[in-house]
Formats: sequence, C-alpha cells, structure tokens
Amino acid sequence: MFLKFLAPSLLALVVAGCASPPAPKQFSPALTPFPSECLVVQRVMFNAIGRQFPLNGYLAMSDTRGKRLIVTESFGGVMADLLIKPDGTVFVMQSSRMFPAHYMRSLMATDVQYVFGGETKPNHPFVTMLTTNHFVVERTGYKLDLRILETKPGAQPDSMFDETLVKK
Amino acid sequence: MKLFTVLFSGLLALTAVAATNEIAPSAPADVRTIMQEFQKKSATAQSVYMEFVQERVLKLFAEPLKTEGVMLIARPDKIRWETTAPYQTIMLGEKKNVAQFEFNDGKWEKLKLGFPQALERVMQQMTAMNQGKMDAMTADFNITATTGSETVLTMTPKNETVRGVMASLEIHLSPDFSATREVVMNEPNGDLTRITFHAEKYNVEFPAGTFDQNKPLPVAEIKAAVNHVP
Repeated sequence: MFLKFLAPSLLALVVAGCASPPAPKQFSPALTPFPSECLVVQRVMFNAIGRQFPLNGYLAMSDTRGKRLIVTESFGGVMADLLIKPDGTVFVMQSSRMFPAHYMRSLMATDVQYVFGGETKPNHPFVTMLTTNHFVVERTGYKLDLRILETKPGAQPDSMFDETLVKK
Repeated sequence: MKLFTVLFSGLLALTAVAATNEIAPSAPADVRTIMQEFQKKSATAQSVYMEFVQERVLKLFAEPLKTEGVMLIARPDKIRWETTAPYQTIMLGEKKNVAQFEFNDGKWEKLKLGFPQALERVMQQMTAMNQGKMDAMTADFNITATTGSETVLTMTPKNETVRGVMASLEIHLSPDFSATREVVMNEPNGDLTRITFHAEKYNVEFPAGTFDQNKPLPVAEIKAAVNHVP
C-alpha cells in the first residue's frame, strides 16, 4: 500500500529534482579513488517524503566492463539492479515500485557515475563528499546518505556485467 | 517488499521452534507430529537470545553478502532484531509499536521509518507464533519434513504470487528440537538467504532498556547480562 503511494511520489520528485537543482557544491568525481576492479559495499539512507529508508548497496566496478549496482532492503530483497556500461549506456536489470525504471535511468545512474567515477563533468552540484567513504547526494526531492563500508579489490564475474541477463 | 514479509514469516516459524529448552525424546516422524511439537514447545520459553549470521547468496556475486547480529524475543510480544556488522541497525517491535535505529558517527539515530506497517505485521505474526498459534503457517504453506542428522521442515508457499518471490523456506532443527540450526529462504532463480543461529539462550532475563523504543540498551550490555545466565 505504501509503495503505491511512494512510487508516484518519487515520480513527482524526479520531475521536481530536474527542475530546480540546489546551489552547486564542489565535488569532483575524479577525487574518488577506487580499484579498477572491485566490489564496494555500502549502507545507504534514502530520505524522501519525510521518511527514511535504510538500504544496502553492492556496487561491482570494472574499468573495462562497467558498473553493476544492486540495492537491497535490510533483509536482502532486491529493490534496484542497475548496469552501466563503460560507454555510459544504462540497463535497468531490475526495478521495483520504490525505484521505477525511469528513476533508475535518470537519477540513480547519474548519481552512481558522479560518486563512483565515470562522469566527465568536473563538478556535481548535488554531491558532497564528507569523507572519502561518506557521500551525501541531495536533490530537491530526495537525499541519499551513502557510506562505504568496505571496498573489496578483485574482479567480479563476467555475468555481473552482461546486460542480456536481465531478471525476468 | 514481498521478500521482506516472506522472510519474516520464516522468522516467526523459527521463533516458534527456537523458543524452547526442552529435549524431545525422539525425532517426530511426520509433519503433524512435528507441528504439534512446534506448538507444544513454543509455549515453554519466556524469552530467547540468539546470535545470527545472515548470508545473502546471489548467483551474480562470487561471495555471499554477510551480515551478523542478534535476535531477542521476550513474551508476549517484544522483539529486537539487531545487525551488528558490517553496519549497525536495531529494529524493535512491541505490539503495534515499531522503531528502527541506525548507528552513525558514534551515535544512534531513531529513524522516521518508511515501512512501519511491514514491521508491525511481523510483530503480530511473531506474537501469534510465540503463543503457539500455528494456523497461519499451515494456511499459507505446504509443509514437508525430513529427519536424520537434523530435522528439516520445508515450507512451500501455497500462493502462486508468493512462490514467485520465494520458492521454499527451510527450517533446519537439531534432531531433538533443542536448537534451530538455520533458516534458508530459496528464491525461484536459485538465489537464497541463509540465516544461521548460534549462542542460543532461553528464558533469560533481559536488562531494562533492551526493548526500549526511544533509547535501546547497547547490545554489549545485553550480551554481558545474558552471558551471566548459566
């Protein structure tokens, strides 16, 4: 029931977020040093409509194969699954009512690129890096408090970056 | 979200089994007998303390995604589910009241929870199970059992929609029902969540503040108190 409410709300937030960005803050994605092949484990607090949604993020990164972000709720249920190829092409592998595909393509993918590298623009007006493992993404409609718990160096399986393996 | 609810359905079943410190004379031979043992033993313990390791096994990842923590239950209706690593969060429930806390920058923050209804529903189910009310479980699952070095109850959701999220739920028990070894939630695509329990203690007296929904007692103090119980 709540998700039915949240999904359209997020849509509204997406529109609002695009229309009126907050004042620019100086953050350069070039400052985020991650191994060329790694898995980044995150704890994320998604703030929207005055509520907090604690989530886990698992980001597999490869300079040559792309980025794969899987977002789960605390008990492991997948809320979002996103693949970004090295050329910037975005594939929504799994969406949810909380995170619809259009939100993932337009905002989640952009945030990932800014925080974890891949974005070519020098500064991201929505991202603040408080420490090297603590980021805040703040848009008009929502706020993400993202903490990196662990960065595990090493290559992830090729299947992680295969856009043809979309979950049915 | 469905998985969240389904998972807690599994946890409530676990709770019913785990809340006992009696030893059954022999392993039951059929599901009906096991269910009766469930019901009988679920009524015996006033409280339970358990530590857990939760592994989220996704085929995509080379290694399971692990979390660790504790689960505390006190009759008739209090529960504390706390993750202690790799992050710290506390979920508390008592009747229709639920709360969640997140530990960051050296302090606990009470969250303005986005999904309070789900946690509330869990608490109601937990309460029912702790009182030995098994009707909901048999109504929602087809249940089979195997016995051997351990007893495994395999619960298959009757509802097709639920089966689309969870293929089956396994509850692994010691042969004498004295302990719950693990709970496994199998998903249709082969992914699974495994929760392994250890360090169980029953009928412990939790210190004041354990279930406080405004300022929960730190888990270290609870562990210290619990570990003094013989």
